[in-house]
Amino acid sequence: MNLWAKQVLTIARLEVRKAFLSKRGLWVYVLALFPAVIFLVHGFDVKLKRQRWSSQITDHALLEGVQAGETASDVRMRLGPPLMDREFGRRRRGEDGERLEEERYRHLRYFDGQRRYDFHFTNGVLKEKFEQPLATLEENSQVFAGVFQYFYLRLAVFFGCLGIFMNLFRGEMLDKTLHFWFLAPVRREVLLVGKYGAGLVAAAVIFGAGTIVTFLAMLWGLDPADVQAYWQSAGPGHLFWYTVATVLGCVGYGSVFLAAGLLMRNPIIPAVVILFWEAINGFLPAVLQKLSVLYYLQSLCPLPPPVDKEVPAVMRVLLAPAEPAPAALAILGLLGVTVLVLWVASRAVRRLEVNYATD
Amino acid sequence: MSNEIIFSEVSKFYGEVLGVNRVSLNVPPGITSLVGPNGSGKTTLMNLMCGLIHADQGTISVRGMSPRDPEKLMRSMGYCTQFDAAPRGYSGYQFVSAALLLHGYSAAEADERTWKAIDRVNLREAAHRKVAGYSKGMRQRIRLAQSIAHEPEVLILDEPLNGLDPLVRAETIALFREFAALGRHVILSSHVLQEVDVISDQVILIANGSIIAEGQIHNVREEMSEHPSQFLIRCPDAARVASLLFAEDHITEVRLHADRMGLLVLTRSRERFSHLLNEIVLGGQAIESIVQADANVDSLYEYLIGGGR
Ligand SMILES: Nc1ncnc2c1ncn2[C@@H]1O[C@H](COP(=O)(O)OP(=O)(O)OP(=O)(O)O)[C@@H](O)[C@H]1O
Ligand SMILES: [Mg+2]
Repeated sequence: MNLWAKQVLTIARLEVRKAFLSKRGLWVYVLALFPAVIFLVHGFDVKLKRQRWSSQITDHALLEGVQAGETASDVRMRLGPPLMDREFGRRRRGEDGERLEEERYRHLRYFDGQRRYDFHFTNGVLKEKFEQPLATLEENSQVFAGVFQYFYLRLAVFFGCLGIFMNLFRGEMLDKTLHFWFLAPVRREVLLVGKYGAGLVAAAVIFGAGTIVTFLAMLWGLDPADVQAYWQSAGPGHLFWYTVATVLGCVGYGSVFLAAGLLMRNPIIPAVVILFWEAINGFLPAVLQKLSVLYYLQSLCPLPPPVDKEVPAVMRVLLAPAEPAPAALAILGLLGVTVLVLWVASRAVRRLEVNYATD
Repeated sequence: MSNEIIFSEVSKFYGEVLGVNRVSLNVPPGITSLVGPNGSGKTTLMNLMCGLIHADQGTISVRGMSPRDPEKLMRSMGYCTQFDAAPRGYSGYQFVSAALLLHGYSAAEADERTWKAIDRVNLREAAHRKVAGYSKGMRQRIRLAQSIAHEPEVLILDEPLNGLDPLVRAETIALFREFAALGRHVILSSHVLQEVDVISDQVILIANGSIIAEGQIHNVREEMSEHPSQFLIRCPDAARVASLLFAEDHITEVRLHADRMGLLVLTRSRERFSHLLNEIVLGGQAIESIVQADANVDSLYEYLIGGGR
């Protein structure tokens, strides 16, 4: 094998353990697994409810038959005791702005074995009726898409890579161990690539696994038939692209923070600058948009994240790219940005001096 | 290709702080000692040679190689640094073998060389313990093991004798001699000239970032012929000898001992002083003994660096 390749492998092997178990690095795992925990809690909650409510199943046809305008006592009589019966009053200003009138609200909940029905009465008369399954795949996928883009890519992978990659050189400077590497018969560029490789393996494994676990947790607690159908249709594709986006996120942010760690002392400054850059990216001219990691990652996500209709158009630009790039281009673009950033980093590492005193 | 280490007009500043200033040196193979007080620039010179820091001005060539090319340079160089941390979590064994793996040795060969080096510094028992838990002297030795494990042509050691017990120190010095005997460079640093002058082929005295004297140890002393030498003379009639000595212009001071049988003499020329003594003895004066009072190399050194710190 070529000497450089061998050295890169050796360095990556020596460093990978440290990348996984970096000093005070526990929070990286917390970030990676946090959404999975949320989904699991949610799934557990659904299972628990289903179990609890199963003792009081109401006939589906009866529930469907309830009409607006009926009174609460009629409904109760016909359907039997509800899962929940909540009553409350609210004082309201009258039209003339003076007189206070009190409105009585009542909320009845029933369960037909799959769906829950919520009846909202005002002053004893049914005004609104909601029905929804305990949990649906569609709803969960939407939530996942949102969590993945707004939390996972933007924050978890971002800060996780900051923690892992900024430490590769900076951390050794603080530990006063960088000279160990600089005294090896290894080109600085080779050292850079080796250390980057170690960080990448750690980040990709931690966050790739985090993505997969979160995805599975999202499906947990759903109707097994739905889940199976999903696995036989779009499911594997979605999981694949989410994982690809995560790993490429590590590739991109990893290079950015590796370079930042070489160019700057304080991790806060580059973090804020890059976070800001990624955030305003939607407003930038098309050429500059291509210099962002998030732009490509968003293009790779299989589902658009949910955007509330009330979100102003300005904000919407911030949340999702106007024109996502096709997958192949997005991957190439991201790798291009990475190579560019690593090249900048390699210039910096050549100039880098072992200078422990001033840290 | 030159087999010397050449500094030409090398300066290094740490921001505003002077590291070394316009240093020019030609260091031939053999044992060379860099001697200077704290902060004089010894570590700076060594770091410059190894490319850990870069010169602001001037050029450095190590046996024809540039310190900017670690891939080539570090193959034939070993540096036992003053920084005594090993990468986090490394055992002594890992510390040495990781470096060898980076040289491109196969796992088996790296293992063999690692044990050979560890045995040379007598650390076999502690080899699998974490370096962070080593004593100061053990850390010193494991760093030495790492720096020699690939049999470098240029061995640089920053205060290698610090913290070693006498036995280990003797073994370490023997190792330096062995290296030097193979035509290699061994460059070490010390605060104390005494500690290294007998083992060095040449010494370089450095203070405040500048080279003050360099060469073989006796040449260095010669360089100071302008500096008064002190002699202690024991003789029965010290007062008489004192008056004879004082007539000469190269004698700058004569002090009579309280018992009137001893003299402390300062002379600016040892050569003329020894001629003079001959004449005095031939003239019939009895002289029991002559001892050079400042033979202690420390005093020489203290003088060189400006009266000591
Ligand atoms: N990283 C640094 N930042 C700022 N100044 C430095 C740095 N390293 C060394 N210096 C300064 O450069 C000068 C030379 O330091 P150097 O470490 O080379 O001395 P030294 O002879 O090795 O001292 P010691 O005997 O204490 O090891 C000193 O004045 C020191 O304060
Ligand atoms: Mg030093």
